[in-house]
Amino acid sequence: MTSIIVTTRESESRTLELEPESTLMQLICDAGMDELLALCGGVCSCGTCHVYVDDEFLPLLPPADEDEDLILQESPARQPNSRLSCQIRLTESLQGLRVTIAPES
Amino acid sequence: MSAQALNEKDYFTDLSVLLDPYAYFEAMREQGPVCPLPNHEGALVITGFAEAIEVLRNHKDFSSLNSTVGAGFPLPFKPEGNDITALMEANRDKYMGGDLLVALDGEKHSALRSVMNRLLTPTRLKANQEFMVEYAEQLVQEAVAKGGCELVNEIATPFVTLVIADLLGVPAEDREKFREVIDNAPPPGNMNNEEMPTEMSVLVFLGTFFYEYLVDRKENPREDVLSQLAHAKYPDGSDADLLDMVKMATFMFAAGQDTSAKLLGNAMRYIVDVPGLQEQLRADYSLLTPFLEEVLRLEGSTKITSRLACRDTKIGDIDVPAGTQVLISLAAANRDPRRWENPNQFQLHRPRIMEHLAFGRGVHTCAGAPLARAEVKVILERFFENTSHIDLNPEKHGTAGNRKLEFEPSFIIRGLANLQVDLTPA
Repeated sequence: MTSIIVTTRESESRTLELEPESTLMQLICDAGMDELLALCGGVCSCGTCHVYVDDEFLPLLPPADEDEDLILQESPARQPNSRLSCQIRLTESLQGLRVTIAPES
Repeated sequence: MSAQALNEKDYFTDLSVLLDPYAYFEAMREQGPVCPLPNHEGALVITGFAEAIEVLRNHKDFSSLNSTVGAGFPLPFKPEGNDITALMEANRDKYMGGDLLVALDGEKHSALRSVMNRLLTPTRLKANQEFMVEYAEQLVQEAVAKGGCELVNEIATPFVTLVIADLLGVPAEDREKFREVIDNAPPPGNMNNEEMPTEMSVLVFLGTFFYEYLVDRKENPREDVLSQLAHAKYPDGSDADLLDMVKMATFMFAAGQDTSAKLLGNAMRYIVDVPGLQEQLRADYSLLTPFLEEVLRLEGSTKITSRLACRDTKIGDIDVPAGTQVLISLAAANRDPRRWENPNQFQLHRPRIMEHLAFGRGVHTCAGAPLARAEVKVILERFFENTSHIDLNPEKHGTAGNRKLEFEPSFIIRGLANLQVDLTPA
């Protein structure tokens, strides 16, 4: 099974089965993890699907584009490993990916 | 006004409900988060936060077909069976605005929305920021020089009209014409026109212009949104239909007008009337972000939206047969005491404030939300920079705690018809 591990703000971890072609945001929302708000529905305009990606997986992801960077710039919770989960498309190569839902900002 | 009396009123036509829709919806809430809509047999009204989200997200069972005309508009067909999708589609042309993005469902909606989603990107908005700030500065300076202004019509409406015109790439020479037509247009969900609550004449007028722009941009592309629309593709790779793109451009232009303009008026009321708030915001502009979200929760400019059950379904445990019209009170969901502590109180730092429903939720979430937020923040900053104090004009609006205000006669829009402000120069 190809899986990813999502840690909530309360430090609870859940293992989700990776669905290729889906985005990370869709996967987390479909799993009923409501604290990832994803208000804009995945169009990179609201910043409410902000996650921290475990460092070892960062090189596997395409870098954030200008739009994603602009949205993240507005978040006081931004860290070097910050990403918007709606912009992360899942592939088999992301097996074992670990992310943490960023605090509300 | 007793709860009993409120229960008898017609939400769509009673002008007393317009003044205080919140009291009306509280009377509905007493009967439960989902209850019958008075005077409209079979229709439901939702005041609960969780129930509103449930329906807004359930686009499989609920259509947006009635969102422009409202859940009180009688069905132009007799619902039969447990799935009326085909019947609804066959009658779509009987709905004013039934072909606009906001009223579309399913694949057609997804295809058009995917085009829309690529237009108002953060980079596009950033590029528009310079115009926004300059134009806001100009309008505010003129108003301050006069010692005051009528905020809604003299400032907010021209501001949002020209900002979206600039963003789309409407030629400067046509912008004034657009402004005149929009200034004189009735709001959507007009309570003074029961036959046709959402008028289309403005959209038709704008549509003729947008058709010409898009034909031109097809041949002579530029770096603007109109060119993007002229060359847009659907997710399956096919070319977007030109007339669909004309409708979208027109809709984008019109949709942001009332809502964004009214939001500025609603925000200004809180700035003036919440003790100490004006000073607090002046001292720290970063507070404008949580401030605006709280205004959106308490007094967002869209009071309601509507849905139509296209097949037998449920809301919570309640059975909802196909053909049921549902009025979703965004205003009431945003004041649901099960979700919000002291729901009627203004509080600057509410936890999880972003969850409010002022911009809706689900596939129809307002695409213009980031633009509306930027517009209001930019112009409020300009007001603070150019003034030392802002007040409502006491002759026109009375004093704090005893305000006299007029609201736009719309069952959709929550916004002031006018707001006379007195401006003390910086």
